[in-house]
Amino acid sequence: MSDKAEEIGTQETVEVQHDEHEEHHAHSFWRTYIFSTDHKIIGMQYGFCGLAFLFFGFCLIATMRWSMAYDGQAIPFVGPLLEALLGNNVAPGGVMSAELYNVFGAMHGTIMVFMGIVPAAFAAFGNYVVPLQIGAVDMAFPRVNMASFWAFFFGCVIMMVSFFIPGGAAQAGWTSYSPLATVIPTDGQTYWLIGMVMLITSSLLGAVNFLATIINMRAPGMTWLRLPFFVWAQFITAFLLLLAFPPLEAAGILQLMDRVLETSFFLPTGLVVGGQDVDVSGGGSPLLWQHLFWFLAHPEVYVLILPGMGIVAEIIANNTRKPIWGYKFLVGSVVVLGFLAFIVWAHHMYMTGMGTVISAFFQTTTLLISIPSVIILTCLLVSLWGGSIRFNTPMLFALAFLPMFGIGGLTGLPLGFNFSDVALHDSYYVIAHFHYVVAPGTIFAIFAGVYYWFPKMTGRKMSEYWGKVHFWSSLIFMNLIFLPMFAQGMAGMSRRMSDGGATYALANPDNADVTVGAFSDTIMGMNVSISAAAWAMLIAQLPFIINLFWSVKHGEKVESDNPWQATTLEWETPTPPPHGNFIKEVKVYRDPYEYSVPGAKKDFSPQSQPAK
Amino acid sequence: MEIPYTVKPRPDTGLYNGKLGIWLFLASEVMLFGALFSSYVLLRVGAEPGTWSMGLMNITVGAGNTMVLIASSMFVVLAWAELKQGNLSGPWLKPRNWGYTNWKWLTIACAVLFLAVKWSYEWPQKFKHYDIWLNDAAVLHDSFKKGYHETASHSSDKGTKGVSVKEYVEGFYTTRYFKEPSDGSDGSKAKFKDAWDSGTLALSGHINGYEEAMIDVQVGQWDANSKPGVTRDEAKAAVIAAGGDAKQALDGVGLVFPKLDYDKAKRMEYLLKQAGFKVNLSVADYEKVEAHPWFWRTPRVNEDIGGQPRVRSIVLGLDHSHIQDEAGNEVHQEIEIETRHISRLSAYEPKHSTFFGIYYTITGLHAAHVFGGIIVMLYNMLPIGLAMWHKDRERFTNRIETFGLFWHFVDLVWIFLFPILYIL
Repeated sequence: MSDKAEEIGTQETVEVQHDEHEEHHAHSFWRTYIFSTDHKIIGMQYGFCGLAFLFFGFCLIATMRWSMAYDGQAIPFVGPLLEALLGNNVAPGGVMSAELYNVFGAMHGTIMVFMGIVPAAFAAFGNYVVPLQIGAVDMAFPRVNMASFWAFFFGCVIMMVSFFIPGGAAQAGWTSYSPLATVIPTDGQTYWLIGMVMLITSSLLGAVNFLATIINMRAPGMTWLRLPFFVWAQFITAFLLLLAFPPLEAAGILQLMDRVLETSFFLPTGLVVGGQDVDVSGGGSPLLWQHLFWFLAHPEVYVLILPGMGIVAEIIANNTRKPIWGYKFLVGSVVVLGFLAFIVWAHHMYMTGMGTVISAFFQTTTLLISIPSVIILTCLLVSLWGGSIRFNTPMLFALAFLPMFGIGGLTGLPLGFNFSDVALHDSYYVIAHFHYVVAPGTIFAIFAGVYYWFPKMTGRKMSEYWGKVHFWSSLIFMNLIFLPMFAQGMAGMSRRMSDGGATYALANPDNADVTVGAFSDTIMGMNVSISAAAWAMLIAQLPFIINLFWSVKHGEKVESDNPWQATTLEWETPTPPPHGNFIKEVKVYRDPYEYSVPGAKKDFSPQSQPAK
Repeated sequence: MEIPYTVKPRPDTGLYNGKLGIWLFLASEVMLFGALFSSYVLLRVGAEPGTWSMGLMNITVGAGNTMVLIASSMFVVLAWAELKQGNLSGPWLKPRNWGYTNWKWLTIACAVLFLAVKWSYEWPQKFKHYDIWLNDAAVLHDSFKKGYHETASHSSDKGTKGVSVKEYVEGFYTTRYFKEPSDGSDGSKAKFKDAWDSGTLALSGHINGYEEAMIDVQVGQWDANSKPGVTRDEAKAAVIAAGGDAKQALDGVGLVFPKLDYDKAKRMEYLLKQAGFKVNLSVADYEKVEAHPWFWRTPRVNEDIGGQPRVRSIVLGLDHSHIQDEAGNEVHQEIEIETRHISRLSAYEPKHSTFFGIYYTITGLHAAHVFGGIIVMLYNMLPIGLAMWHKDRERFTNRIETFGLFWHFVDLVWIFLFPILYIL
C-alpha cells in the first residue's frame, strides 16, 4: 500500500517536472528574455540599460571636459567622430561648438538622472531584489511591470534619436527653464518633452507596482518592521515617484503646449527674443515652470539616494555580521524624509525673487530634512562599531558611501541657507555638492549592489581582485574630480560655461588673485586636472565592465545559494531564482538582520528560520 | 506560479491587488490634475486685469455634459451591481434580460455623447470666433460706435435701451474680463475705464469676409552659379515639370505670373527659387472673399508682400450687436477693420490667452481620460474581455469595480473643471 502510494507520488513528481519542462519550452527566447513579465528579467533589463546610460552619460561629460580644459582645440579621437556623426557645423574640425556643449550638458543631466540612476538604483534593484526579499512570487502586476520597462525604453529611444535631428538634442539644461527652453528654435526640446512624458509614465507604472507589491505580497510573517531596510527605502522611493512625478508630467504637457501650439503658460507678457517681439498672448509665469519642475526634482534627489542607502544598509549588516544599529530609527527617518521631501523644493529658487517669507519657510524645512538624513547616516556608521568587518568589494563601496555621502550632505547646508546660497548659486560649488551625493554616493551604492547580488543573479562571483582595483581607482579619481570644484565654485566660477571660465580669466591680464571677476591660474588650472581625473575615471571603469561580462561565464562559482551567509529572504531561493522564485512556501519568523545571535549555532539566522 | 490576492482581498490590508493598484494610480492622477489646477490658480491670480478671457463658455452645454457624465457614473455602478448578482446578459446573450452589458452600453453611449459634444460642437465653434486687438484707441472707439450705435440706442433688451455705446460695451466687457471676485464693482469700472481709454479692449466676433491679396510673381535674373552644370533652359523645364504652369512667362526676364492667389504665388516663388531664378512678389490687387476662416493668426494677416499686407481689411460680425437685415432677420452688425490697425488677432484657440490655453489643456487631458475609458469599456464588452467572466466571474467583477473607480475619478475631475472653466 505504502509502496504504491510512493510510486504514484513519484509518477506525479515526474509528470509535474515534465509539465514544467514543456512550459519552459513553450516560452520562446523573445518571451523569456525580451518581452518577459518576470520581475528578475525586467530588473536585469533595467539594470543593463541603466548602467549603459550611466556610462554613456559619463562619456558625454568626459567629452565636455575637453572643451573646458582646452577650449577651441580639436578633441582627440572623439572629435572627428562627432564631426562625422553630427555634422561639421556642430563640431567643426572636431572642435566642440558651444551649442554642442549645451546639448551634451543638458543631456548629461537628463540621462544620468532619468535614464541612468532611476532605472539602475530604483527599477533594477527594486525589481530584482524587492519581491525576493519580501518572499513574493513576482510583482503584483507582472504585465504592468513589462509595460513600465517598455515605456522607459521607448522614452530612451526618443531621447537618443534627438541627438541626430537638425539642431541636436535639448539645449536648455536638464532643468529646462522657460522661457529659454520654449524659445530655442531647434526641435530638441520638443523631443525631450515627449521623451520625458514616456519616462514619467514608466516611473508611475513602476511606482504603482512596487507599492502594491510591498503592501499586498509580503510573505506570511513578514510584518512591516521585519522588512529589510532596502525594502523600506524602495517603498518610500516609490511613494515619492508616485506623487512627485505627475506635476512634472503636467509641466511637461504645458511646456509642450507652449512649444507646439504657441500658448504662453511660461512666457511673460512683452517677451522679446533677439530684438523681436514674440507673437504670443503673454500672461504666463516663468516661475510656474520652476515650481512645477522642482516639485518633482527635489523629491527626485531622494529618489536617487534612498535606494542607495538601502543597498548600503544591507551590505553593512551582512559584512559586519551584526544587526543594523537603530533599525527602527532608520525606518522612522526614511518615512519622515519621505514627507519632508515634498516641502523643500523652492530652496532651488532663492535667486528668483520669490520673496523672503517663502525663502525663510523653505530654508527652515530644508534644514529640518537634514535631521533624518543625518540619523540614517549615523545609524549606518554606528553599525560598524564592534563588528568583525569583512572587507570585500561590495563592503568597500558601501563603506566609501558613508564619508562621500557625508561630504555631499554637509556641503549642502550652505546651499540650504538662502543668505549663503546667494553667493554659491549656479556655481561649481553646487555641481560638486550634488555630485558628491549622487556619484560617489548613489553610484558607489549601485556598484556595491552589483557586486553583492551578482552571485544570486548568475551563480558566480565577480573577481575580487579587479573589484578592488575598480574600487580604489574610482575612489581616488572621484575625489580628484569633485573636490577641486568646491574651490572653483567658491572662487565664483559659474556652471554652464563651455570654455571653463576662460572668458572671465581674460578680464584680468595679470591673473592676479585679487581681481574681482577673474580666476587665478590655480583655479583655471584645475580645469585641466579635473578633466584629466575624469578621463582616468573613465578608464577606471573598464575593469568593472570587463569583470561584469567576464564573470557571467568565468567567475568563481558559488558553493551555496547563500554565499555571503546573509539573513534576508532573497538568499533562500535557488541560484539563479527560477520563474516563481521560491521552491517551497516561505514563512518569516525573524527580524531582518539577526546576525551573531547569542546561542545560535551559526553567526546568521535567516528570516525564514523558525525561532526556537 | 500563482500571484496571490488577485481576486480575494488580503486579510490584513483588506484589498485585492487590483483595487490597491487603482487607488495608487488615482493618487498619482490627483497630483497630475492637482498640478494643473494649481497652475490655473497661479496664472489667474497673476493675470493682468482684462486678460483673463472668461465668461464665453456655453454654460447650458457644459451643464448638460456634466449631467451626462454623472449619469454614466451611475450606469457603471449598476453594471457592476448586475455582475455581483451573476447577471451578465445583453442583447445577443441568453437569457435576454437586462444586465451588465446593457448598463455598460449606456455608459459608453454617455461617454461618446460627452466627447461628441466637446469635439464636434464646443471646440470647433471656438476655432472660428475671433478677438481682434487694435493699435489705435481712436480707431477702436470708432469701431465700437459703428458696431454698437444702433443696438445700444434701439435695443429691446431691458436696461440697455437708449444707453451710450460706452455703457453698452462696458455692460458685456465687465462681465467677461473684469469679473474678478476680489474686486468690488467700482474696481471693475475703473479697470474698464483704463482699458477703454488706452484702447486695449478687443473686438470680438466672427470674420465674415476679407480682402486678400492677388499677387504678381515677377521673375528676375537667373543665377548661373546656383546649380553647377544646369542650363537656363533646364532650370525652366524643371519649373514647368514641377507644375509651374506658364511656359511663355519664363522665356524673358521681368515677366510676370499675374494675379495669382497666395498659395499659388508662394508655390511659384518656391519653384523658381529652387531653379535658381530671382523672384519678386508684389500685390496687384485685392480680392473680396466671403468666408468664415478658421485659426487665423496675426502673422497670416499682416504678412508683408512687397510692402503690402496679405490681407487688407477684415469684415467682422460683432458679438453683442443685433440689427435687422432687409428680410427682417436678426443679424450681427458688420464693421470693416483695416489690417494696418490690427496689433493682434486670434481665434479662441489655445494661443489666444492663458485662459484658453489652460482650458484646452485641462479639458483635453480630461477628454483623453474619457477616450481611454471608452477603449477599456469596449474591451470589457468584447469576447476577448468577456473570456475572463467565463473563466473567473469574481475576477471579472473586480475588474469592472476597479474600472468604476477610475470612471468616478474622471467624473469628479470634470465636476471640478466645470465651475472653474465655465462659471467662476
